[in-house]
Amino acid sequence: MNIMLMAVIGALASIMANKGIAVFNDGLRPIMPEHIEGRLSRSELAATAFAMSFGLVIGFGIPFSLTASIILIHCILLGTDIIGASSPDGNKGMIISGIVGALYGVGILLGLESIVKAFELLPVNFMGSLGQVGAPIVIAFAAFPALATGYQYGAKKGVINLTISVIARQIAVAFGTISMAGATIKLNPEGSALLVGMAILLFYAMQEKAEGETVDLVSVFAERVKRIKKNMPYLMVMGGLVAAATAAGLMAGDPISLNLMKEGQLMDAGFAALARGIGFIPLVASTAIATGVYGPVGMTFVFAIGLFVHNPLLAGILGAAMIGVEVLLLGQIARFLDKFPGIRKSGDNIRMAMSQLLEVALLVGGMNAANAIAPGIGFFMVVGLYVLNEIAGKPVVRMAVGPIAAILVGVLANILAVVGLFTV
Amino acid sequence: MIRFAVGGAIRKDDIAKMIQEIGGEKVEVKVMTDMQAALAVQSKQADYYIGACHTGGGGALSMAIALLTVAKCATVSMPGRPPKENEIIQAVADGKVAFGFTGDHMEAALPVILREILQKS
Repeated sequence: MNIMLMAVIGALASIMANKGIAVFNDGLRPIMPEHIEGRLSRSELAATAFAMSFGLVIGFGIPFSLTASIILIHCILLGTDIIGASSPDGNKGMIISGIVGALYGVGILLGLESIVKAFELLPVNFMGSLGQVGAPIVIAFAAFPALATGYQYGAKKGVINLTISVIARQIAVAFGTISMAGATIKLNPEGSALLVGMAILLFYAMQEKAEGETVDLVSVFAERVKRIKKNMPYLMVMGGLVAAATAAGLMAGDPISLNLMKEGQLMDAGFAALARGIGFIPLVASTAIATGVYGPVGMTFVFAIGLFVHNPLLAGILGAAMIGVEVLLLGQIARFLDKFPGIRKSGDNIRMAMSQLLEVALLVGGMNAANAIAPGIGFFMVVGLYVLNEIAGKPVVRMAVGPIAAILVGVLANILAVVGLFTV
Repeated sequence: MIRFAVGGAIRKDDIAKMIQEIGGEKVEVKVMTDMQAALAVQSKQADYYIGACHTGGGGALSMAIALLTVAKCATVSMPGRPPKENEIIQAVADGKVAFGFTGDHMEAALPVILREILQKS
């Protein structure tokens, strides 16, 4: 079942990238029409896709997937972007990208599984301790709406939001268990803090009024919007498959919900995915309208559906419907964002806040995990590697340094154990 | 006077501040939405477009590429791929007018872009 899902997702995503229907990397999307309309050759497109995505598969997708044994979607869809972009045009390209994509999807699943199994056979088994990488995120994620408020409206309003969010969390802890007609409903502390924080951010954002002339994106790029609507059936199938795979616990859309999923906090993971989706609406809508190329997971709400609905079949149907609604409403969403520029900006700030939060939380998590694997060496190595990465001009994205360094410490502990310099 | 339009998705104010600090009286900087900034360059109301995002090319450059074509745009850094000085020098020499980079590479990319643009004019 899982192998089938991965094969179909890999194949379909690669074909969609090959045909310019959808690509996952937001940076690749604007380049696609340049090839479709003949200004950029296939080999240049392939080189660009490779440069943009390969480092993220190795340095971002795979380390996160390893720390939680759940596949981070970036592993699959950044790879299928490259496969699709590198396959030739025409029917030949469709067949090649489909086959290679299916093999890639299955390869990622089996490859990650075998790496985890191989790690477990090592003299120093560090897979258990490695899970601690995500420990700080599981609580800290609820702070990001407050941080986004801070980015958009200054530190003072950020502090106000953070304070109210913390109070909301504690109220949920103290009074969160409601008994009604024999059934107990348990309010979730972090979920409550997140929702309150988002409400405050959106409240501030709604107050910003449009100023200056706005440009009607949809009329400027009418042909490109039509192209996305024409491709809606394929996009819906893809959205359904990803929602089903998420419901099956096979994959996650971002590092925050991935770690919450690993802890079994599916509701929290769902809320985090939902809030993240709000952050992606402006980016996905505007890049899609301007390019005529959509994203294989759309505005990422399919992940929230997968987390809230635990039945893969039902999640699949709802996920497909979600993508359909997104595509049909593209024009309306763009006009709404023009009317409320604060909401558009908050999308950018939500994504900025999430990545800043992850940078800190994963560094702390990486240090804790590494030190649990190899007491003493852990702190020493992770801090050292983090600063060295900064000195080198950040060849590894900041938020991946913690997880990667923790994995390296695990490998190092094994090497040292073999030569007798480390005892378990 | 060289006119800069700051579009992109993130760190817009930081970018504008840095352009102003480096360029001083030789530059004029406006922060806009990515669409407005790309249109400003297209309609010659601005000379250069600068933007940042998390991929260096998505939120940073999508509107610029859609309106100005990729031939006029350069992604000078990507996640895990720091900006290279010679690539920036080449891009400015080639007449590119829109530059995108990742937010965390701003401090490395922007001074080189500005130095080259100021030298050229």
